[in-house]
Amino acid sequence: MIDPQGNIRPGWFELMAAFDRLGPTELSARFERADQYLRDAGVFYRKYDGAEGKERDWPLAHVPLLIDETDWSRISSGLIQRAELLETVIADIYGDNLLVQQGLLPPELVARNGEFLRPLVGVKPVSGHYLHFCAFELGRGPDGAWWVLGDRAQAPSGAGFALENRVATTRALSDIYADMNVHRLAGFFRGFRDTLFADAKRDGGRVGILTPGQLNETYFEHAYIARYLGLMLLEGEDLVIEDGNVMVRTVAGLKPVSVLWRRMDASFVDPLELRYDSRIGTPGMVEALRHGSISVINALGTGLLETRALAAFMPRLAQKLLGTDLLLPEIATWWCGQPSEQNHVIDNFDNLLIGPAFATTLPFDDLRGTALGSSIPPEPKAALIERIRANGADYVGQEPVRLSTAPVYVDGKLQPRPITLRVYAARTSDGWTIMPGGFARVGSTSDASAISMQRGGHAADVWVLSSKPVERVSLLPQDGRKLVRNSPGSLPSRAADNLIWLGRYAERCEATVRILRAYNARLAELSKTDLPILTHCAAFLDSIDVDASEAMPQGLLASIDSAVHSAGQIRDRFSPDGWLALNDLQKTAQRFATRIKPGDDATRAMTVLLRKLAGFSGLVHENMYRFAGWRFLELGRRLERAIQIARITGWLTDKDAPDGSLEMLLEIGDSVMSHRRRYSVSAGTQSAIDLLALDPLNPRSVIFQLTELRAQIEMLPGGIDDGQLSPAAKAALQIESDLRIAEPSDMTPGRLDKLAADLGMLAGLVAAAYFV
Amino acid sequence: MLYDVRLELHYDYDAIVHGGRHLIRVAPITIPGVQRVIAAGLSFEPRPQRESSFTDFFGNSVTTLTYLAPHDHLDIRLTARVQVEDVHPPADLSPSRQALRQEITRYWSVEPDSPQHFIGASPRVQLVPAITEYAARVTAEMPSVLTSALALCMAIHRDFAYDAKATDVETKPAEAFALRKGVCQDFAHVMIAGLRGIGIPAGYVSGFLRTNPPPGKPRLEGADAMHAWIRAWCGQHVGWVEFDPTNAMIAGPDHIAIGHGRDYADISPIVGVLKTHGSHETTQSVDVIRVE
Repeated sequence: MIDPQGNIRPGWFELMAAFDRLGPTELSARFERADQYLRDAGVFYRKYDGAEGKERDWPLAHVPLLIDETDWSRISSGLIQRAELLETVIADIYGDNLLVQQGLLPPELVARNGEFLRPLVGVKPVSGHYLHFCAFELGRGPDGAWWVLGDRAQAPSGAGFALENRVATTRALSDIYADMNVHRLAGFFRGFRDTLFADAKRDGGRVGILTPGQLNETYFEHAYIARYLGLMLLEGEDLVIEDGNVMVRTVAGLKPVSVLWRRMDASFVDPLELRYDSRIGTPGMVEALRHGSISVINALGTGLLETRALAAFMPRLAQKLLGTDLLLPEIATWWCGQPSEQNHVIDNFDNLLIGPAFATTLPFDDLRGTALGSSIPPEPKAALIERIRANGADYVGQEPVRLSTAPVYVDGKLQPRPITLRVYAARTSDGWTIMPGGFARVGSTSDASAISMQRGGHAADVWVLSSKPVERVSLLPQDGRKLVRNSPGSLPSRAADNLIWLGRYAERCEATVRILRAYNARLAELSKTDLPILTHCAAFLDSIDVDASEAMPQGLLASIDSAVHSAGQIRDRFSPDGWLALNDLQKTAQRFATRIKPGDDATRAMTVLLRKLAGFSGLVHENMYRFAGWRFLELGRRLERAIQIARITGWLTDKDAPDGSLEMLLEIGDSVMSHRRRYSVSAGTQSAIDLLALDPLNPRSVIFQLTELRAQIEMLPGGIDDGQLSPAAKAALQIESDLRIAEPSDMTPGRLDKLAADLGMLAGLVAAAYFV
Repeated sequence: MLYDVRLELHYDYDAIVHGGRHLIRVAPITIPGVQRVIAAGLSFEPRPQRESSFTDFFGNSVTTLTYLAPHDHLDIRLTARVQVEDVHPPADLSPSRQALRQEITRYWSVEPDSPQHFIGASPRVQLVPAITEYAARVTAEMPSVLTSALALCMAIHRDFAYDAKATDVETKPAEAFALRKGVCQDFAHVMIAGLRGIGIPAGYVSGFLRTNPPPGKPRLEGADAMHAWIRAWCGQHVGWVEFDPTNAMIAGPDHIAIGHGRDYADISPIVGVLKTHGSHETTQSVDVIRVE
């Protein structure tokens, strides 16, 4: 905020004045609004503490980092120069290897580098370039000059979070934002998206983001960017290599993919030729690259550029390859594989950060491997120096970064904290462009090593200030351009499979909750567990792995977990509200599990869960576009409801079923009112069966589900082809027709059980047609 | 020396395999001055839906197979005629280990044969302190890189028992070393770990051995299956020299190489990703007959 001369840096005065005008109460309320936005949008990251990562709320530091245009243009031109230099270096490493031969790059840094992917040597990217999207970590010294702390060329993350930081921050500070001429971010994304699609258009394929899946720490961002830019969100198993071409398995068959923006480390991309133990890759991807049929962004192998020791050679490479000095300096680095550098590091041990030469983490993110020399106790220090002398090539010494600070709002006060800045560069048809903004990381204490979010650091928006009003841009088509609707039919099979299961688990939860409510209501009333109606009901629950003696049975919790798991894999496909509703359901059920008792307590708890389930269903079904994706969700829901109703109807209309079974059935089937209106008699076996199995107007009847099912299956790709029904459509029609002509007396428990089994077969036919 | 090589690899799957992809590395390559492949043919049963080939980073010949149809077995057949030069073991012009260190740091190349690829750990060979100590001990008196490598080769042969039941294809060098048992792959990995541990670049060689020994000589261990040995970089003047720790010898005219890698992972005969849920049984047979 303050420059070395003691002056306030540009922009800060206006921002502070605006904060003063708002006053602390209003400011806190506004910052809370930003946090609320992030929670509502479902923004999270995964924090690793122990074996399993947990989802955490996004830690937004509410005060944006301000950078004026002069500083920014210096940063931009420095990073464009750097991106071009990195491209030249990586093209040489995977090409002619002149840099090593000419002595500009030590051979060890290539040959002993885990990111040097030998199968990619000599494989030229189809786009002609290795790098398309890079990030740079910058720090500002106390003198105000910006330094490069590290290059991110493997699969840089954070651009999506930068967008979300912007949205959240402007929620809080919209008036100030409007007054301060802040550069917009959308234009940068539009440029990159247009380039991706232009590359794909040439050969008619699709554009996808390749993600490691929902357990990855930045999965939220992958889903977010996929949604924002209109890209397919793909996992390795969605793809198959056919005749050297990359195809995506969709519900309409295999479709070509031309561009993959990967968010997966390169070595995991192909288990056949790279990491044999990768379970998230696509066998044959390297062959497709040799075949020249796919553009993978960034090219596999570019992660090598992140190697820490490489920093020691960049200044000289710039001079040799570009004929000029680096516009933005980087932190001084000494690679101990050279005798004089090794001596320098040992002589200045206490004043340097000592770390592994081949690390690709940033020095202050490296919680285990890197330490300031003076912080190492004498004995380990002597041992480390010994190792450096023996295997110097494995070590680097780096100048410790002294980061300048920016104000953060802590406990109602602004306090200085060290910051680093991540800036993004994208290649477009006009060359490299730099995102006018970025992602700032703010330390949790004044110690620069606490910047990592894994250590409690915060993220802040970055405002690049213009001296004149800025142009407003968005991702929507601009006036004068034709609006093009993307054609449907690209739903990946895995997503469809997850949608079916989400529908099924949600419905299974509902069926279970309804039965448990009916059970507990009677338990509360009768306060004895050994009554025939209760044991009969408990036996049914047992058949679906639910223990009726537990107030919140493990079997129900497991179904809820499964629904959340299925939903988690397709977060790009339904609204954040639906996701939050489902998470809320899960948390509520888990909370209940610790405190409710069977009987009245459980009855009330089940009613709460039922309402939350209905909320989830409503949010999803009312807001989901009627594409193939919605159809699969609907299929799952209808299938499961038909199966559950058929089974419970058979169970409770059995000739040995105890008294009260029919009333219970109507209650579970939510059909008490309908029954009264339609038959105006007390429940008889025939009328109950008629209403729950055969009544086409009852939205809870089996036949109602089947009519919906058949209609949806016919609408699926290949459902009806030239009048010819697919095997699944035929089976659905058969089951539906048999039911339409059935009489209530035909629907014996045996027949209803067979119906449930036939529906299971139908699910298998759908899976065989669309998910293999 | 002219050889006819015949290899049959047979994989029997427990469960039906619904498709898969394989990389096959079993065909010998021509190495100028060492061996020349006159003809080589590979056939597969069942016939793959797609077959192609390429040369990998280290110069090995790789065939890629794609199966889409269900199958329950895979037969791989190789027939090859290979001319092997009878190169005399090199005169020992190799440097001391101290001098070798200098030569390596001055070797400004990452070409496939550069020693730079063959120092430090590789996918299947970690540097193990116990193996390094062992290698340092048995080579302590040796004046040169070549004599050091040979001493380690002899020591492994002396101290280790050939035992096909003691280890399997996944066994790590540290485990085989602790057991002092194993087969050619284990001996090769232990020797590579030992050489790299004492600063000598070393790599893996996969190949075949002549089946019937010349008159008056014993039949070599490992001749009825695919074999493995190692090569060590003995300085700029001598270059790469191949050692066979299983048979305590410098590899010569009885050794026919398939190719090179840092360790087994770079040159395993078959790498595959299968759509199945079972395991498989493997049988192999090898004949290497001298033609003239």
